[in-house]
Amino acid sequence: MEYKLRKAEPKDVSDILRLVKELAKYEEMESQVTLTEKDLLEDGFGETPFYHCIIAETPGEDSSEDPSVVGFAMYYFTYDPWVGKQLYLEEFYVMDKCRGLGIGSGILRHLSDLAMKTRCTGMMFVVAENNEPSVQFYKRRGAEDLSQEEGWRLFRFDKDSLVKMATPAEE
Amino acid sequence: MANFVLRSAEPKDVADILRLIKELAKFEEMEEKVVLTEKDLLEDGFGDHPFYHCLVAEVPKDQCTEGFSVIGFAMYYFTYDPWIGKLLYLEDFYVMQEFRGLGIGSQILKVLSEIAVKTRCSSMHFIVAENNKQSIEFYKRRGAADLSSEEGWRLFEIQKQDLVKMTAK
Repeated sequence: MEYKLRKAEPKDVSDILRLVKELAKYEEMESQVTLTEKDLLEDGFGETPFYHCIIAETPGEDSSEDPSVVGFAMYYFTYDPWVGKQLYLEEFYVMDKCRGLGIGSGILRHLSDLAMKTRCTGMMFVVAENNEPSVQFYKRRGAEDLSQEEGWRLFRFDKDSLVKMATPAEE
Repeated sequence: MANFVLRSAEPKDVADILRLIKELAKFEEMEEKVVLTEKDLLEDGFGDHPFYHCLVAEVPKDQCTEGFSVIGFAMYYFTYDPWIGKLLYLEDFYVMQEFRGLGIGSQILKVLSEIAVKTRCSSMHFIVAENNKQSIEFYKRRGAADLSSEEGWRLFEIQKQDLVKMTAK
């Protein structure tokens, strides 16, 4: 299947949100997506982008039809205090009907190229431990499970805890 | 009680930041893995587009036996969750041994929480080594949840040599 990869533009925010929700639905978490198109626009296409996206699109049925956005990868840059810049792959999804056609590999290749061009020393991402197909997809390409090899565990302070910590304690 | 100040790092702090990064790495027996230089830290943190931010903790010079004034730091940056938006990511967090137990760590965390709330972040994320019981307790006491435990997330990495391999395919 013919497809094209390109940088996301402001016009893509509704497709990005659609795909974010589709992936969340697949994880049975659709109700947890509270982000809006407006957030995506401000956060991704303002003065300081907080994320970047690569879009995969397939051509329309004929020349009069718009191309369809069928996959995306959302990433940003992080910083490792030992080695410097890293590319962090936050979200990566290709619509079911377009799987197995090399789009995923194409996206990963594009991201690898980008990481090299921007002088990143590695690419990081999290995978759910029970997502065997994804774990294998990444391991086949040389990914290492740092949680396993180095014992890292991901922690979170949610908003309530942050507010509690930010507020001075009552004397 | 230590007399200390917390402030945003400035370009002049890169030597101290690197020293503390190496000290923390040494504690993890990984000092030789720190290949970052002061020049990298300067370009990456104080250029047009900062890739990280730092808070530094400073004491009057005569208070530190080794003669340093910067005795602790936290390195952080902003990340993005596609369900809820901006997050604050705490990358490195270290206070010199001599200055532990004096509330400096708690204060750093408090300032980071304020920054997170002000910049409209939905939460703060960070990783902790599973065998670092002290740190785990420090964070859990303040309400942190172990997402690796609760949600089964595992952190993966593709290193440079494998990225290069993929670009060649």
